[in-house]
Order: sequence, then C-alpha cells, then structure tokens
Amino acid sequence: MNSRWIPTMCYQCKAECAILARVENGVLKEVRGNPRARGKACVKGMAGVSLEYSPDRLTHPLKRVGHRGEGKFEPCSWDEALHAITAKLRELRDRGEAHKLTASFFPHSITDPKWRFLNAYGGFINTALPHCDSAKIVACIKAMGGVPNHHIPPNFASVPKGGVIILAGRHAMGCLDDAAVPRDILDAKERGAILVVIDPVFTADAAKADWWIPVRPSGDTALFTGMTHHIVMNGLHNKAFTENWIREGDFEKLKDYLADKTPEAMSAICDVPARDIVKLAEMCASAPSVGVDSFKGIMLGQALDFGHAWTNFLAVTGNIDNPGGQPLPDLTPLSPVLPAPAGPSLAEKGWHRTGPDKGRFGKYSFIMEPTWYEAQAIKNGDLKVLVTAECNPALTEMGQEEWRKAVTMTDEKGQYQLEMLVSYEIMLSETSKYADYVLPDKSYFERWELLYMPWWYNFGHGVALRQPVVAAPGECRHSNEVFIELGKRLCPEYFAFKDDLEYYDIQLAGLGLSVGKLQDMGGLWSPGTTGFRKYEHGGFGTPSKKMHLYWEDLEDAGQALPRVFLAPEYDADADAFPFFLISYRTIFHQGSGQWTHNNPQLRDPIGGFRENPVLINAATARRLGIEDGAMVTLRSRTGSLKARAKCTERIRPDCLGLHHGFGSTVGRVAVLGGGVSDNALIPDSGMTLDWQDLVGGESHVSTRVTVEG
Amino acid sequence: MKQLSLAIDLDRCIGCKTCVAACRNAKGLVDHASALPGAIPYYLRVESDRQGIYPDISIRSWVMPCQHCKNAACIKACKAEAIVKDEQTGIVRILAEKCTGGRACIEACPYGVIQFDAARNKAHKCDLCWDRVHNGQKPVCAEVCLTDAIRFGEKELLKMELEAEGKEIVKKMSAQSMLYFRTPG
Repeated sequence: MNSRWIPTMCYQCKAECAILARVENGVLKEVRGNPRARGKACVKGMAGVSLEYSPDRLTHPLKRVGHRGEGKFEPCSWDEALHAITAKLRELRDRGEAHKLTASFFPHSITDPKWRFLNAYGGFINTALPHCDSAKIVACIKAMGGVPNHHIPPNFASVPKGGVIILAGRHAMGCLDDAAVPRDILDAKERGAILVVIDPVFTADAAKADWWIPVRPSGDTALFTGMTHHIVMNGLHNKAFTENWIREGDFEKLKDYLADKTPEAMSAICDVPARDIVKLAEMCASAPSVGVDSFKGIMLGQALDFGHAWTNFLAVTGNIDNPGGQPLPDLTPLSPVLPAPAGPSLAEKGWHRTGPDKGRFGKYSFIMEPTWYEAQAIKNGDLKVLVTAECNPALTEMGQEEWRKAVTMTDEKGQYQLEMLVSYEIMLSETSKYADYVLPDKSYFERWELLYMPWWYNFGHGVALRQPVVAAPGECRHSNEVFIELGKRLCPEYFAFKDDLEYYDIQLAGLGLSVGKLQDMGGLWSPGTTGFRKYEHGGFGTPSKKMHLYWEDLEDAGQALPRVFLAPEYDADADAFPFFLISYRTIFHQGSGQWTHNNPQLRDPIGGFRENPVLINAATARRLGIEDGAMVTLRSRTGSLKARAKCTERIRPDCLGLHHGFGSTVGRVAVLGGGVSDNALIPDSGMTLDWQDLVGGESHVSTRVTVEG
Repeated sequence: MKQLSLAIDLDRCIGCKTCVAACRNAKGLVDHASALPGAIPYYLRVESDRQGIYPDISIRSWVMPCQHCKNAACIKACKAEAIVKDEQTGIVRILAEKCTGGRACIEACPYGVIQFDAARNKAHKCDLCWDRVHNGQKPVCAEVCLTDAIRFGEKELLKMELEAEGKEIVKKMSAQSMLYFRTPG
C-alpha cells in the first residue's frame, strides 16, 4: 500500500489553513492540520474528503440550453466554451467596454492570475461577498496607512496574562481566521487572558467567555465610543502612545467629539448598561493588552463607522502592533511579474461610478467593485459580462431575488442585458443555474496555487503552496489555468510566461525560491515573526507618519468621526417589523458555497449542522404563543419565508437568528433539510443605498422582520 | 488493572465535531459517493447542556465515545461472545469475525455508541484506535482535537496529571473508563 501525507492548503473557507492530506494509492483518505504551521484543521477541513469525492462533481463544461435560471444544460467541449468566452470578451473590448467585465472571486493572493487577467484586459474584480471586511480594511488604511488589512485578528498566541480579547460579532471559534484560533484563545485564557464576547447571539465563543455582552445589533459603534469616552475623559488613556503616535490635533478633536458620547448616552443606543460600558472600559484601560476581532461588527451596513470607532479605541489604549493588540501586516518580498498591468481606474470606470448613483459613491475607498451593487449595475447596463468563480451570488447577495431578476432581464430585442454569465465551480450551485457556461473547476486537492497575503493569521508574512495531491476527474481545469489561457489569447504581452507554475516561479525568485524548492521545503516559507511596534521604525504609513483619528476628507459625509447611531436598516421599518434578523454562522458553514452545504458530513446532524431553524428567544416565543419546532413565517419589507422555530435562551429577546447560506435548490445533499436563505428576506443593497457604507464599501447583511406562528 | 483512557476537558471542548469527521475518515465510515446526512455511522458524538436563563446562561460541550466500560453491558449481552475487554489496554472490542449481527449489544449499551453495518451484518464501534495506540500514536480524536481538549493515556496517570493540575474530575460523567474534567470554581 502506498500511503503518504502530503502538505498542501485547505480551501473549505477563506482561512486557507495549512494541512496534510493522506493519499493512499492515489485516493485522498484523511486530512490533518500541518504541524509546521500551527497544526490544526477544523471540521470543514476534515470533511473536505467528502467534497473531493462527491457524485455531484462537475467533470466537463456545460452550455445552457434553457432560459437562465432553469438549470438546463448540455455538455460542450472546452474549445467551444473558451471560443465563445474569448469572442465575447474580444467584442466587448473592441466596442470600448472592457471595463464592463467583472469577475467575482476570492483572490487567493494579491497577484492571483485571475486578477492579473482582469488588470491586463481592463475589467474589474469583486470579492463575491458583501465585502464583510472592506470597512475594516479602509478604516485601517485611513487610520494607520500601509498595506490593506484583511481580517487580521489579534495574534491570540501573543496575548499576555491579563490581556483582554474582545470578539465583537465575530465567531472566531468558527475558524475563519485560522483553525488554530480556538486553541490559541483558550491557551491565552489559561494564562490569564480575559475573553469578552459582544454578540446578540450566545455563540460557541460566548460559551467560553468570561463575559457575554448581548449588544443590540449595530450598537457596537456606540459601545466602543462610550468606552473611549470614559477612558479619555477620565485620563485613563495610554499617554505615551497618544502623545507620540497620534497626529497633532486629532486627539483634541476626538475629545471634543466624545464630550456628549457618555456611557449613559451610548447605553441608550446599544442597550448595554452604562455601568457595563464603564466596567469594560476600565478593564481594557488597565489591561496589558486589548485585541479586538470583529471583521465587520454586528451586521451593519455602516461598518466604516464601527471600524473607525474600534480603531480609535485601540489607539487611545495604545493597542496597536503590541503583543495581544492589533497587528500591522507586512508584505512578503516577492518579485513582480513584468510587465505589470496597471488595471483600469476603478474611480472612473467602475460600475458604481458610471451609473445613475455615481455621485453617491464619490468617497468610495475600497479597492474592488462593491459586489452588492452588482444587480443594480446589470440593470444600469454597466455590467455586461460576469464570471463567477467559487462563489454563489444567487444565494449570497442581499436581496437575492433582485440579483436573479437582474441576470435574467432582457432588452427590447429579447437579449439578456447581462450578455454573458459564466460560472466556474466544482459542482452545480444556485448561481450555476443562471449561467450560460458552467466550467468544471479543479478542487483544492487537485491544483497548484501560490498563496500569499500580507494579512493571514496562519502564516504571517509568508508564502504557502497548494499542490495537487490527487488527479482531477474528467476534464476539470483550474480557473487560474484558464484565465492564463484567456490572457494569452486576449492580452499576450502580459502573459508571456508558460503557465501558472512559471508565473509562481517568477514571483518566488524574490525569496530565492521556486515552486520546486518550496515543494521540497514542505510547501511553506515563513520566518515565523510578526514583529511588534513596527511603527517605531519609520512611523505609520500615513502622510503624517502618525495615526489619523480624524478623517477630514469625510467631513462632507459627516464621517470625520464615527456616527454612533443605529444602522439605518435597523431603524427603518421598526414599527412594522419589530425584530432584528441576525444572520449567524457556525464552524460548519461559513458562506453559501456548495463545499459545505452539499457536503454530507457537514450537513449530518452528528458531524455537522443540518438545518437552519429560526432561533427565537424562549420568553419571546412564549409571549407570541410559538412552540418549539412549530413552523413560523418570517416577513420583511421585501420577502417572506417559512421555517421551523427553535426556542432558545441563546439570543436577545428582540432578535431572531437564521444561519446564513442555506436554501440551495441544487445538490444531492444541499437540498435536504428544508434550509431557507436569509437573503430572501434582506432587501437588495443596490436599491437601498441609504443603508449602505458607501465609503468603506460594505453593505447591510440583515434587516428587520416579523414572526408569526 | 490496565486501562487506556481519554480525558476530556469540559473547559476546552467547543463542540466543533472535528473529531467526529476525522474519526469517520480514519475508520473509513463514510462512503463519500453515496453518504447522506443522518445515515453516516459514527464512533463518537458531541453532547452539550445549557444552564440558566437569558442572559445568564452557560453551555458546555463534550464528546461521547465508547466508554470502554469496567463491566460492559455489551459484553454481557452478546450471546456470540464477540465483545471482549482487552487485558492489556482495557479496550472493549467487537471481534468482527465472531459477530453474528444479533444487535443485543446495541440495545444493552447505556451510552448509545454501537453502530450496525447492515451490509456486513456486523456491529462496530470505537476501539480507541486499537492499531494506532499499539504503535505509539494517540487515538485520532485526541490527535486532531481543535482545542486540545482530549488527552490520551493510561487512566491512572491521567488522573494523577489532572490532580496535580488542580482539575476536578466530574465523577458523574466519569463512571466508566473515560474521564471528564474541568477547572473548579
């Protein structure tokens, strides 16, 4: 028997943890965390074996034969599919509309070959998500400068005794940062760190917390600002940091702004008692470190305000790039692949800047198209070709029905307004049903990929190699290979390298490495250091070299300092729809991808999470006469659905909880269990711009609802 | 008496089920091409309980593998004498070659951990990774535990280790050969 463990990288979620895959006679059998890189893989990673051998795997390209949405296809050849796609892209560019191509995917590195193609061709990228982290990225860049900051959490392994860990609306034990995070948090607790979970839902993290604070949804900006008030007004701030590392004048402006943001005033907004705001503020002010992991806070569309409030809080407490605080990411010194395509100007040609709402996006700061405006862009005629890869907007988009409507809209000649929709996937998804071509991707166990980002928790400023451990079925081709081929056809001057491996070799030369050498090293290169207080050598990456707490460029927008009021999507319709809908996640399912939802192990009641009942506070249920297990109807201003009620003590009485990502109508396993999609209730983001973060680029992912038995 | 054991840390188990999936893969319990939710065998499961009323609540989770009982009911129930407690390790094993598929063990087991393979007409269950532990390795569940909540070793030594660390063994849960513990207070 030929059995060996091969190092590679997981891709059951965006954390992309380093794993070992056991392959026996060419068949994948088991997965483990790679002991050379924190050593953990979560339940999703383990269940990747079932994904690999799903009978639903796509094995050859498909061409649509019915209407979009019907899901009727016939097999076609790669030649035919690529010929059609190339012809459409050539035509689009020839008519001066290359910028009307968007590819929707999660970039696995900042030089992902798909992204290179878009830059070379003249199209755009979006993340296929509501940009759950863009406001944090924008807030970090505005306050601290430097490289974009993805969902970099505190380095939990660095939290000292007595340090405070705050998880605000963040299910860190769901492993979206890294599979080692739950262990690292619990280890930190064992050495005396304090875990505080701020969340309307009592999560698995809350079950391990020293203190659970069930905040009102979107009240987190007020909560953090109330703490900052107490700390600053009582002289509890870190004077060494604020005097030396905050831009001159900003602290005074912050102080003026804070004058009326008392814990009592903020308590009225966030529904956390003022005494608790004071208690947490004093706990943080006296702790050796405070780290906040939050991503986007509690489901709000004005996430930049929260990112700002949180950054200001960390600044006044001096918790920037210290052990246990907010790390500043570094870039790995890889070599550029020349010539480097500049890409089109997002500010001039992005579809949020060319349509009727262009004026409202004037301060938009994120580096990608706002995914959540996609449906509107199609309706506006500003998005003509959409390629989706490893994403599922038909379920993921807020207002999913509007996305479906947009991709099926026709002009007066009966032609689809979105001229081509391509879905690149390993198995049919809700989105695939609408595609003109469905292309069979290689799974993450079958492909090469060079992963490097400045922000990943799991390998710091390093690189990691994803390598094929088993052969791909049928005619599967990795999307990167195909985008490189499209590049060779459409913009060959930028694709003079032979293939993906040569592309990675050129980049790795900057480290004195190659794919082969990296493979020989076990697929990982990382010096293992994050570095602390790096700003002491050359300052911050801002123009002043210090932290900017006051953002004068947003004075016109009223966001020079954070707005503390409740997010507008929660304020709207409050009388007609008395409950906040909370879209929550578990370790078993992070998004709407078929990787987990069509995975029998992850939908198994013993091994995963099968259904998504509506969580309803037990007292609320009693008041409404709703019994545990009863079917209830949820209604919002734009939709309704029926689901089973789960009466629980684990949620605020004014909230209802629905697990995100369910509701697929395709997939042998995904259709089981009666799951419903939260996005059927959530209004379309492009049609509710007043609710969105038009600077940070995030959109609301929740809404107000009613529940009836 | 010789007894290998798992010691499960109630302060660290987060109920993530990583051990369940890894165990299934290692033991070949999943036919990936045909498996359906609700019909996949398992050798351990996660249980949890909640205390209190909103907002003052606590929830703890733990894993429930075969308890490798001191006087195992499954052994007594099996007319075919296909279940034995190994003298060297204390592991309770089902000997597949002797199992006649009578299922009495499944009825008798107070912990509900015995599975039945209808195609082979055999009962099967956790054997504490018999092959691995005879080769110096931990059981899979202990190796993969996301939070290092599962310790493995000889029961007496685990008890000694927990006592030295000031841990409290929850006696009600530790009636057989597996240990469940927490930090007092």
